[in-house]
Amino acid sequence: MKFVTREQLKTWLDSLVESEYDVVAPRDVDGKVLYRPIGSAEEVLFDYERPDLSAKGCFFPATEVLLRVEQQGSRVTQEEVLPDRQQVIFGLRPCDAHGAAVIDALFLQEDPPDAYYRHHRERTTLVGLACPQMWEGCFCTSVGGAPDDATHLDVLLREVEGGYAVEAVTEKGEAILEGLTLEEREQKPGFSGKTRFLETVPVTEPEKWRPLFEDKIWMRHGERCLSCRICTYVCPTCRCFDVVDRVTGVRGGVTHIERIRVWDACTSPNYRRAAGGHNSRPTKPDRLRNRFYCKFCYYPEDFGPLGCVGCGRCVVSCPVDIDIREVMQDVAAAAE
Amino acid sequence: MATNANPMKPYLGKLVGIKDIATNHKLFQIELTEPEGQVAFADYKPGQFIFLSAYGAGEAPFGITSTPARSPDFVEVAVNDLGHVTHALHGMEEGNPVGVRGPLGNWFPMDEVKGKDVVILGAGIGGAPLRPVVHTILDNRADYGHTTILWAARAPDLLVFTDEFDDWGSAPDTEFHVTIDREHPDWSGNVGLITNLLEQVNPPSGENVVTIACGPPIAIHFITLTLLKLGYTLDRMLTTLEARMHCGIGKCGRCNMGEKFICSDGPVFWQNEIAEFLESDV
Repeated sequence: MKFVTREQLKTWLDSLVESEYDVVAPRDVDGKVLYRPIGSAEEVLFDYERPDLSAKGCFFPATEVLLRVEQQGSRVTQEEVLPDRQQVIFGLRPCDAHGAAVIDALFLQEDPPDAYYRHHRERTTLVGLACPQMWEGCFCTSVGGAPDDATHLDVLLREVEGGYAVEAVTEKGEAILEGLTLEEREQKPGFSGKTRFLETVPVTEPEKWRPLFEDKIWMRHGERCLSCRICTYVCPTCRCFDVVDRVTGVRGGVTHIERIRVWDACTSPNYRRAAGGHNSRPTKPDRLRNRFYCKFCYYPEDFGPLGCVGCGRCVVSCPVDIDIREVMQDVAAAAE
Repeated sequence: MATNANPMKPYLGKLVGIKDIATNHKLFQIELTEPEGQVAFADYKPGQFIFLSAYGAGEAPFGITSTPARSPDFVEVAVNDLGHVTHALHGMEEGNPVGVRGPLGNWFPMDEVKGKDVVILGAGIGGAPLRPVVHTILDNRADYGHTTILWAARAPDLLVFTDEFDDWGSAPDTEFHVTIDREHPDWSGNVGLITNLLEQVNPPSGENVVTIACGPPIAIHFITLTLLKLGYTLDRMLTTLEARMHCGIGKCGRCNMGEKFICSDGPVFWQNEIAEFLESDV
């Protein structure tokens, strides 16, 4: 295996920061661990659990300007704001790379591709760091992932005695590793095997969800939902969005407008409210059901991958303990 | 669509005509001012929709209510002043700039309907996306069979395209019936819901008849039930759906009905397709 020390990684990260790359890595932000841009390798966390938010904001920002528009009388100019910065995400957990691959299935592979997302993704290199164990609420191994899964990464790092094992997964990964001196070692990287929370959650095939649409499961779990939307906010695969205009100022007779895309949530009460007042999902169970069906029935049927990577963030974030693993177990039991 | 295209970027356009067509309802005529936009809108189909931008207020989806044959120089939409974007549009004047994305979605299969009798049911502003169907039939009259148009609104002042009623009603092999929901001092015609009118007119059902309906979800729901009662079958009923969508290209998630997206799988569906959706409110 290829080996590198933490100090060597830091030197390399600092050289990336100095180069054309924006470097994003897990940082401590007021007690939360978040993937954030860094100014120096000193800010990077190496020993962390699961960041509190996924990395989807690196390709699909929570708020993103799509167009800058200037209007003066009957004259309008509009400029697309397409990202052009090269970006490296360091320390990405494999479930978050998996989450990006899930969104790719819709935003890249389904025609027409999303121009903004594509620009971000093509300019991003994913340097993952395997989880040394599974964390509270995690179940990646039940939905096709693993704590040390390299599949959706460009580079996978695994912690070993005295440093990290380095595996270049893609050509992009090999390119980003130029400039990092790797030592060849005989030893093989092993998974530490601490599986404190490792558990198996049953995944029910999409067609077996269909007869359960009117099942009491949705009332039972949905009635205590607070419509707070935190589950969609922390989710690496939730990708609903709204588009709004914002007037940023009027200068010299020119109105400056930004058209902005913002994250949206199908669990929000007004999500399906139309002009005139009709709401086709008026209750919390209606909306909760839609979220679960999207992940386990609609998304895999329409676009291929499951809409869940088992990161467990919604499990630990829900203020009323709605637990996706319990829902999956209930669905599996009802589908028997 | 070219790989490099950005489907979220509108074509620029300007309002070349604004007409009051009912209380709080205006017809907007939009000229595409860029060559790319003119090419994109050279051959749109009945049932397709656009996103119309009132820059600064936002954009919203509207069913196209014109045909390229009748208005080669502009695209028309009918807008009810109900929300943020529609209100901004209602405040605009001729010459004002707008943005247009589209044409989006599928369309009424007018070729499949050729040779068949047609029953068109438009409730309220739901009549807007059916006007291109009416125009297509009237402009190619020999291609289609007997056509029955049933038109409805809550009140007389909410009926849309009243200036075309005479034209529609006097076309060959075409009948036109209109109703309003409740008695009104200015109204001496039919009173009652569109479903009552449908039962009263009772256009013959059969293998060779296609129905095309649009209106609020509750109206589509009861129109479908009434059609079933009158002997029509779901696989010969067309409808067009809408939702408060944000992209129009199957990405934003807003408009799903179960596993289908109104924007990219529709907006036009046969009722037997809708019957298979896990989720539907029509």
